[in-house]
Amino acid sequence: MPVEIPVEKWAGKVNEVKLGGNGRKSIVIGGETTLPFLKIDGAMPHRPAIAVEVDDVMPADWSPHLIAAWGDALEDPAVWAKKAAEYGADIIALTLDSAHPERGNTGAAEAKKTVEKVLAAVDLPVIIIGPDVAEKDNEVLIAASSVGRGQRLALGNCVDKNYRSVAAACIADGHVAIAKTPIDINLAKQLNILICDIGLAPDAILMDPTTGGLGYGIEYTYSVMERLRLAALIGDKMTSMPMICNVGEESWRQKEARATSGVPATWGDHQERALAWEGITAVSLLNSGADIVVLQHPRTIALIKDAISKLMA
Amino acid sequence: MSRFIATSAIRGAHSVIADAEATLKDALQKMGPETPVAFTSTSYFLPVIFGFTGQKITKLGDMPAALQHARSLLPPVPRDNLWLPYLGETLDAGVATLFAEEIIEGIRFAKGQQPEQYNGHKLNGPIDDVQMRSWGIQMVDGRMPGFAAIVGAAKSNEVAVEIVRQLQSRGQLVFLCSQSNGRSIIDQLRESGVDLGYDTFTVTFGTDTYSAVYALGYATRAALSFGNVAAGDIRKILLYNKFRCFAFVLALGQVDDIKYATAAGAINYGFPVIADTVIPNILPSGVTRYAHVVSLPFDDLPGKDDLEKAQRLVQRCVEIRGIKIKIAQVPIPVAYGPAFEGEVVRRENLRIEYGGKGSMCFELLTTKSLDEVEDGKITVVGPEIDAVPDGAKVPLAIVIEVAGRKMQTDFEPVLERQIHHFVNGAEGIQHIGQRDIAWLRFSKSAVNKGFKLKHLGDILHANYHNHFGAIVDKVQITLYSDPEKVKQLMGKARAIYSERNIRTAGLTDEAVDTFYSCSLCQSFAPTHICVINPERVGLCGAYNWLDCRASYEINPTGPNKPVAKGKVIDAAKGEWEGVNKFVYENTQMKTDRFTLYSIMDQPMTTCGCCECVMVLLPECNGFMLVSRDDYGMTPCGMTFTTLMGTVGGGLQTPGMMGVGKYYLLSKKFISSEGGIRRVVWLSKNLKESMEEELKAVCEREGVPDLLDKIGDGSVATTVEDLLPLLEKKGHPALTMAPLI
Repeated sequence: MPVEIPVEKWAGKVNEVKLGGNGRKSIVIGGETTLPFLKIDGAMPHRPAIAVEVDDVMPADWSPHLIAAWGDALEDPAVWAKKAAEYGADIIALTLDSAHPERGNTGAAEAKKTVEKVLAAVDLPVIIIGPDVAEKDNEVLIAASSVGRGQRLALGNCVDKNYRSVAAACIADGHVAIAKTPIDINLAKQLNILICDIGLAPDAILMDPTTGGLGYGIEYTYSVMERLRLAALIGDKMTSMPMICNVGEESWRQKEARATSGVPATWGDHQERALAWEGITAVSLLNSGADIVVLQHPRTIALIKDAISKLMA
Repeated sequence: MSRFIATSAIRGAHSVIADAEATLKDALQKMGPETPVAFTSTSYFLPVIFGFTGQKITKLGDMPAALQHARSLLPPVPRDNLWLPYLGETLDAGVATLFAEEIIEGIRFAKGQQPEQYNGHKLNGPIDDVQMRSWGIQMVDGRMPGFAAIVGAAKSNEVAVEIVRQLQSRGQLVFLCSQSNGRSIIDQLRESGVDLGYDTFTVTFGTDTYSAVYALGYATRAALSFGNVAAGDIRKILLYNKFRCFAFVLALGQVDDIKYATAAGAINYGFPVIADTVIPNILPSGVTRYAHVVSLPFDDLPGKDDLEKAQRLVQRCVEIRGIKIKIAQVPIPVAYGPAFEGEVVRRENLRIEYGGKGSMCFELLTTKSLDEVEDGKITVVGPEIDAVPDGAKVPLAIVIEVAGRKMQTDFEPVLERQIHHFVNGAEGIQHIGQRDIAWLRFSKSAVNKGFKLKHLGDILHANYHNHFGAIVDKVQITLYSDPEKVKQLMGKARAIYSERNIRTAGLTDEAVDTFYSCSLCQSFAPTHICVINPERVGLCGAYNWLDCRASYEINPTGPNKPVAKGKVIDAAKGEWEGVNKFVYENTQMKTDRFTLYSIMDQPMTTCGCCECVMVLLPECNGFMLVSRDDYGMTPCGMTFTTLMGTVGGGLQTPGMMGVGKYYLLSKKFISSEGGIRRVVWLSKNLKESMEEELKAVCEREGVPDLLDKIGDGSVATTVEDLLPLLEKKGHPALTMAPLI
């Protein structure tokens, strides 16, 4: 008996967002008219992209496996970024962690220098993430914004406390804002509306719905992302922004990725387990609609690259 | 439109253009068309001309075309017998003036005469792009409302300084230019030792009126940088400034034709013009959001001396432009924040109490017109705390008067109810109740830290601005602790409360054409939406129709949106086309119909926050209602918690519905099924706590003894026990039309 496969016809489309350009390599993400990788219903014109995290200071609490994998590169963000590019990163996600009041409290001047250095070191599109303290984010992101003028960086995080400043900088310098909200579809939508009200074009916004690692709320993240994507496909313009997920940080900070002793033998080899944690988190979130996953370990880059190719095939 | 102003402005425009034409002709002859022209460090050319036309002027030879365009905009000077010069013509004359002024300044730059050297100082001239972008970001994120372009000279040096200080304290940029009777405000400030420059938010443009065009060049560039607008798209540039840049022109001293003409140019951007001399007013709104031209003769301003008059002048400017105030920190001597809201002031630590048993205390918030309220005025009538002994009980009246262009009397109770929440935020201060049963207790530790009665005013003033700034522009508070006064005002307050009660009771679904939605719970119940109508409180009990309306005014992108009722489909069941459409679009297409008055046919859904669950008991031909705080078993065989699992999460379940307890009292309470007569079982705690109100409703519905016939958990927790009781008492539901 022939089986007719039911086809869902969606009215909406995820926005296409371009990063880079103007002398820098560019990449377009988004544009889906179907749920992730479900090509029967619609198109997925662009591959999800892999961003690799690069910090402006040597990470203090990273797993020895990450430190071993990157080696001396961790001491210099420019070297680190170059190495990430060699490993196959599509995008460099530069985190200005040293601006955090408790981790160095550096300011606009240092941020400018670091961003200049990294922009000069690689020709990939670049994401700049602040230290996650709204006031400091404003200071360093606005500095980064002027340094990268016209190179269509993505600036984050743009949250309810600072969205006006970040959005204004994006408008003035032609960047993309990363709108971050705490795992809530309404708040995500509201922030998009507010940012658009300021005058930033919808195709200059990425959403970070906030990610939980595997075993630490990933199912909740998954549902929120899935619903945001469903709303976009139904035709809600204010949830139609592509999504970015901070996979590496969320995976590597969990107990399963960190604990080396005092855990059951069945948990297996520590490094393999930690890598699996990052890999499974990334694949799960790609399946719930992530358009960019930010990763930390070189081996995960290769793994996810391969997974995306298979899912896209 | 004032004929006087129109005529002056058009005459002024003619003279500026003639000046520009002569200056340009001379410059072209002497310097040649290839002479470069550029303002200080900008990539926006001559920004006003660039913004309006997209034309990039880089040399003298580019100027004639722009000036011809300006000339073409210029209307003739109205003849004496023409009585109706158009506002449009005056605005065009203003634009022509700005073009001509910018050309003159451009030529001065080419000649090296700009920025101006004046009295041995170099004035700033136009603002460079780097500074414009830095301030531009602050304007977008709201730290800086806009700018004040001050033209002329103040009455005295002291007044000039006070005006500037007042503007600086509000985060407003101050642009300085021109003169009046040979004096410039730049002189006045410099003579008084005021530090002028980018660091102090004060920019000196020039000593003639032409240099005022730099203010509009700044505004134009701000729109081009931050408004996502292309050069030449002038409509968007002007609208951006009207709605985003809270700027105004303050003309100090005599206003001549050229000032009128330049001001007409500024009005195009939505910037109102305020003069401290007698000139005609143009009060209606239109191109500007509120008034266009306002005359505030300095000596007629209220205030005991010139300094107070200056403060008043700035306050009025801020109002006329509609600049909203934010108060970062509540100015009181104790800590303030949500952490202190639940605090209890116990007897051992009690310093003073207002109201409570045997005393009087009430709070009242009313609306006044804008000129009847002096923002931030806090008055204490009667003894302050230090004049009252320890542990005393004193009467108190908190009288709040607010004014705002978007304020409505219907919002008064919504705002008044916030007093509880606002006052409780202060450490060591406890607030209980509302209206005329309010009761405040101040702790010893708070009073020892210096907390006084007047600080209640500070708390309220700051909070109303911060939380309700969208509807409230001005707030003044009077605290009466004089017993006679409180007694006297209490009667007045009670009359107002009663008037409000009547108004609320009279607010029917038929009387409005808009309901409000609430999507607050979509974070966990994505396919649930509440539609809140005047005669049905939200199922959580927290939001009624008025609250939602106010919430929408305050935060249009928030969880409450207007729902147009649209065409009625079924008046008895409460079904409207508009509601259905809204529900369909906002429940991820899960629910396509909603009735507001029926539980059996397409009832409203529940998120999970409902105060009560209502369930059909088919054997009894009626419904039971169980409240959230009733933990016992119910006749349907399920407890409240188990029921929530069935009805919550946005599921539409005919025969089951989540409701707010006050819905029971509504005339629209399941009116489609017969209303309160259908209630056969009610949680005991609800029956007791709402006894009076329920009796009144039974009376109203013509079944005065109904409440006695309704079962509760103390007499029946199964249908088998309940039914005989209903039969014995003759419950009306048993003889009503069958529900199934």
